[in-house]
Amino acid sequence: MNTLIYTSVLGFGLMVLEVLKLRKWISPAIILGLSLIFGINIHDWNQPGSYMGNMLEISNFTVAFNALAIFITLLIAMLASEYYSDEEHHISDYMAIMTFVLCGAQMMLGYANLVLFFIGIETLSISLYALSGSKRFDAKSNEAGFKYFLMGSFASGFLLFGIALMYGATQSFDLNKLAEYAMGTSVSPLFLTGLLLVLFALFFKVSAAPFHFWAPDVYEGAPSIITAFMSTLVKVVGFAAFYKFLHVFGYLIPVKFDWLITLVAILSLVTGNLSALAQENFKRLMAYSGISHAGYLLIGLVGAAAFPSSAILYYGLGYSLSTIGAFAIAMAVFKSTGSESISAFNGLGKKNPVLAACLTATMLGLAGIPPFAGFFGKFYIFSEAIQNGHFYLVLVGILSSMIGIYYYMKVVIAMYAKPANETKIEISLTNQLVMWLCLVLVLLIGIMPSLVTGLF
Amino acid sequence: MESTIVFYLLSALSVISALFVVFSRSPIYSVLSLIVCFFTIAGHYIMLNAQFLAIIHIIVYAGAIMVLMLFTVMLLNLNKELGTHKFNLTKLMAVITGGLMFLVIIASVKSSSLANYQAPAYLNIGNAEDIGMKLFTDYLLPFEISSVLFVSAMISAVLLAKKEVK
Repeated sequence: MNTLIYTSVLGFGLMVLEVLKLRKWISPAIILGLSLIFGINIHDWNQPGSYMGNMLEISNFTVAFNALAIFITLLIAMLASEYYSDEEHHISDYMAIMTFVLCGAQMMLGYANLVLFFIGIETLSISLYALSGSKRFDAKSNEAGFKYFLMGSFASGFLLFGIALMYGATQSFDLNKLAEYAMGTSVSPLFLTGLLLVLFALFFKVSAAPFHFWAPDVYEGAPSIITAFMSTLVKVVGFAAFYKFLHVFGYLIPVKFDWLITLVAILSLVTGNLSALAQENFKRLMAYSGISHAGYLLIGLVGAAAFPSSAILYYGLGYSLSTIGAFAIAMAVFKSTGSESISAFNGLGKKNPVLAACLTATMLGLAGIPPFAGFFGKFYIFSEAIQNGHFYLVLVGILSSMIGIYYYMKVVIAMYAKPANETKIEISLTNQLVMWLCLVLVLLIGIMPSLVTGLF
Repeated sequence: MESTIVFYLLSALSVISALFVVFSRSPIYSVLSLIVCFFTIAGHYIMLNAQFLAIIHIIVYAGAIMVLMLFTVMLLNLNKELGTHKFNLTKLMAVITGGLMFLVIIASVKSSSLANYQAPAYLNIGNAEDIGMKLFTDYLLPFEISSVLFVSAMISAVLLAKKEVK
């Protein structure tokens, strides 16, 4: 509860700083503020409670995912202070909106009532529509913002309609009451239809196939920093909210909708990985890789042994750190070369061996090669799914992660085997700091997974 | 008995005006029939004892949103007859998926036993006073936290529309 309040206050505070003409303090303020909020959030560990008439529920699950979301925002804010350094008059807007995205994320992680869930998902999405269209004089960014806005509004419409149908069947928005109803003997078809529509909206938000068509265009057109933000925070938070939702109706969904989630998982794995093979643009590649990672996480949802399972948290952490690390380097490369295609990385291995080695490490992490966190993330998810009898699903997962290695290697090959171009790559201190932080953490939790898996 | 007649009248009007929104060639007529549609839905709300919601619906949708849409139509100069509706693959797909969705909802409404549903005993449930009580007690957190949503939407709009200053 405190976390949510302080995050909102931080967002408003950043705008106040702009009004007071303290522009150069905005970046330090958001970094300091988020670190403090991280601490406040950790303080809630092992202190479960429900707040404001069971609107918001704090459990260890919420605290752990909140910590992850705050940490992602912190890393992105550090990168953003560098990325927006030539756009000073807008920096308070960007930083404040990012903080509000985090607010929405926290609502989605702690909801105990569908009303709060809806407001959370809208706060997160509406802020991101604007951010992805924020390069105003760039046609691609406009396209991204508009496309995301239109498609996202449809998804929100489905979500709202689903919630309304569930309310119609149960006369309640409260998750406890809904769960009680779902466990009862007579479940109305209206309720099931509502549940189905909410599932569709969630599939859309986490960009699982066949609800993924917006993702490549939006990821490509949005400013790189926002692409990094969307592909990590939204995906992780979306899956955490999804996980909580599935857990609430745990008795109903396995019977009625397990096949649906399995089907979407397989489709995401296949389309994500196969479409990524043909991509030449780095951000599109990351978009399709994000779709395939949604597939792996869906395997985790179907096969999760118990609630909360640390496999999803671990996978989310490994995926987010690798992605942010890759984007920290890629943003420097894009800025120096002015191109966002994979060929921009040509010859990086000769020009700047350290950067190339780090990018290779993050790519290997995403592909799931030990000792990076990506490997153990997949390992935990697959082993839980096998224990719960989803053998064929895991088979598809393993096959598609083999395809995955090919397109992640494309970037690596461009760096080491292609001739270099003349442009010099300059990487700022902030980007280097974020890059090293991500790499060290990915290696650390890759070598000692029990740091995360031991949490719950 | 009277309420049944009013219900069917309102329903027929809202369905017809909604169809007109979709099939009308001129955007202005579409928008105008959308107003009719909104008013008939507000009529349904009144019949369901939700007076506050009905008034809000008229003020927000038939008032604010409608003006916005009319402005969009006029500013973008869309006020001309669009050509004949071409029938292509995208539309066919849209019809099929939309129709399937419709079918699922009809089926679920039909097969759920609506006869068991009872009107709430407390009839003033849609008053502004009672809604206010609910908002400031049970739903205080969503009510307050939606301010974050609105502020975020507002600065987003400003961010996208502000004149570039150096």
